[in-house]
Amino acid sequence: MGIYAITGASGDIGAATKKLLETDGHKVINIDLNDGDICVNLAKPEGRQTAIDELHKICPDGLDGMICCAGVPGACGNLGLIVSLNYFGTVALAKGVYDLLEKKHGSCVVTSSNTISQGAGRTDIADLLNNIEDEARILELVKRLDASKLSVGNSIYVSTKYALARWVRRISASWAANGVRINAIAPGNVNTAMTATMSTSSKMALNALPIPTKYGLETLMDPIEIAEVMVFLVSPKANGINGNVLFVDGGTDALLNSEKVY
Amino acid sequence: MTPIEKYVEAMENKDFAALAELFTKDGILCDYCSTSSSQKEYHIYGREAINMFFRNKFGFRQYSIFGAEVVNDEQAEFIANFGGYNIMAIATVREIDKDGYIKKLTVRPK
Repeated sequence: MGIYAITGASGDIGAATKKLLETDGHKVINIDLNDGDICVNLAKPEGRQTAIDELHKICPDGLDGMICCAGVPGACGNLGLIVSLNYFGTVALAKGVYDLLEKKHGSCVVTSSNTISQGAGRTDIADLLNNIEDEARILELVKRLDASKLSVGNSIYVSTKYALARWVRRISASWAANGVRINAIAPGNVNTAMTATMSTSSKMALNALPIPTKYGLETLMDPIEIAEVMVFLVSPKANGINGNVLFVDGGTDALLNSEKVY
Repeated sequence: MTPIEKYVEAMENKDFAALAELFTKDGILCDYCSTSSSQKEYHIYGREAINMFFRNKFGFRQYSIFGAEVVNDEQAEFIANFGGYNIMAIATVREIDKDGYIKKLTVRPK
């Protein structure tokens, strides 16, 4: 059986993915702020490094898969946290365990978002993330923005998720040439502990992103629906899939962007 | 009211449910105006899809119309606003079924 690492597996999509892998008999290492096998703050460079070092100690013979689920939503009110955790936390972990994945010809799956196709992101921020990768400078930049506005938080969130998907596309060919696949999942809105306690207006905004497979139900995606695809993508069954951004959103992207076939 | 009048009314009221109900189950709405605002065309197939699509567009204020004028039994002119970008448009009911439901409607720049 394999050995897998997951960030953010203490709740929601990550927890569902961990459970599925464990049910299949795999060993799973949860890296999370709380209740993890490795408890670190992935929003901080030292936290990321500790996680990478620990994984090298626990899995000296390599990893079969790295799944990056840790992240915060645009409504969290902390723009710096969105940048540091969603983008830098994910990229640093994936890069940091690349050598472990290489040892076992493993694969990596990162969590993007289906919002990347809806035009709400800032291309300047996404470009800075991908092309400059200077975390301190980008944090200085976002400090100047009005974090109290939900639309601002959302635009930064989308920018980080867009940059993440683009990073996956850029890095995928060279990784694959060395036996390591990497893909991104773009989930739709998912039922989480956070969405369960959302205000009515926030729920109305979520419902304005209709999920065709949930038509008429006024409900969101279930974490297990995302987790099933995560487990598939990270498994050898998906050996032919690399550099893909897979929308797992019940058809929202197809509904809103039917003409984008590529 | 004719189907085109009902279409204008639903669009003006941002009533996505009423808009969808004007169409047959497999009705099609094609909007070619969106390309002017650097978006791709909209080709929306099916009543439920029309409901969901315009729920999104109206909900996020990405589509509205104003200054509408019904010019004949099949056509109406209006200014379509795509998230702030205005374009003069003409909507045409291309086909209706025997019960008066729209089978195909197009919106093109005028």
